[in-house]
Amino acid sequence: MARVPIVRIGQTLIATVQEELYDHDALQLQEELGLLLEQGSVQGVLLDLSTVTTVDSFLARLISGIAITSRLLGAETVVVGIQPAVAVTLVELGLALPGVRTALNAEKGLALLTDRGRDA
Amino acid sequence: MRASGGEATTHADREETLQQQRATISELQTPVIEVWDGILALPIIGSVDTARAQEMNEALLQRIVETGSEIVLLDITGVPVVDTAVARHLLETVAAARLLGADVFIVGLSSRMAMTLVQLGLDLSHVTTRATLAKGLELAFARLGLAVVAHKSGAHWPTPADGDKR
Repeated sequence: MARVPIVRIGQTLIATVQEELYDHDALQLQEELGLLLEQGSVQGVLLDLSTVTTVDSFLARLISGIAITSRLLGAETVVVGIQPAVAVTLVELGLALPGVRTALNAEKGLALLTDRGRDA
Repeated sequence: MRASGGEATTHADREETLQQQRATISELQTPVIEVWDGILALPIIGSVDTARAQEMNEALLQRIVETGSEIVLLDITGVPVVDTAVARHLLETVAAARLLGADVFIVGLSSRMAMTLVQLGLDLSHVTTRATLAKGLELAFARLGLAVVAHKSGAHWPTPADGDKR
């Protein structure tokens, strides 16, 4: 068990998962992100899953949930660093995270978010 | 005694040859080509079954991570028949690559194939498709903010010394 740290840089929240993401921590992450988003002035959320090697349907749903919640609160979520094996698993489970933007790594994900900020 | 021993050897030989050929085919069937910085091409030749689709998928995802590519051109010019199973495999590849942050364009669709897909009632609304690889590449360039410019002074192009008299 490890809490997922959330770092705020400018108008972006960056949550980097350390090692694996367990249900309890994921729920806590969702709640904390929600509270931070409520305060406003956040444009984007970057969720880094590069250390995660196992994902089940619960987590997939939760990630989709985070993305939808943040959109409702006016911020866009980009999920980055999904490993190939995890991607295959998610697709086979039929949980291809619809409506969630993705990028290969944190750098590209951040570029997506900042581009959007510039357009807006 | 000798005859049966010889037979066993030929059988083993044949088995070995078969294994080698199988290995060669599986190597040949999943070439992932980096056609441009950030653009991968996956030309599929022949029919696609589950095992092959999985292999292709793995090879492709691996290459996306290695090269950091953002666009994949899935060329199905060489696929003779597209049925629901093949289409499902292709859509799975598209979805998996998308999770890694890469856009997949399915290119090389023939009009017949397009009609079949429509008749099968498959939802391809979220997949970008083009008729030819060239069109797909054009779109990929546009997506990456690149443009192909024709220079009128084509003579400046370095040619192999004097041999080339174009």
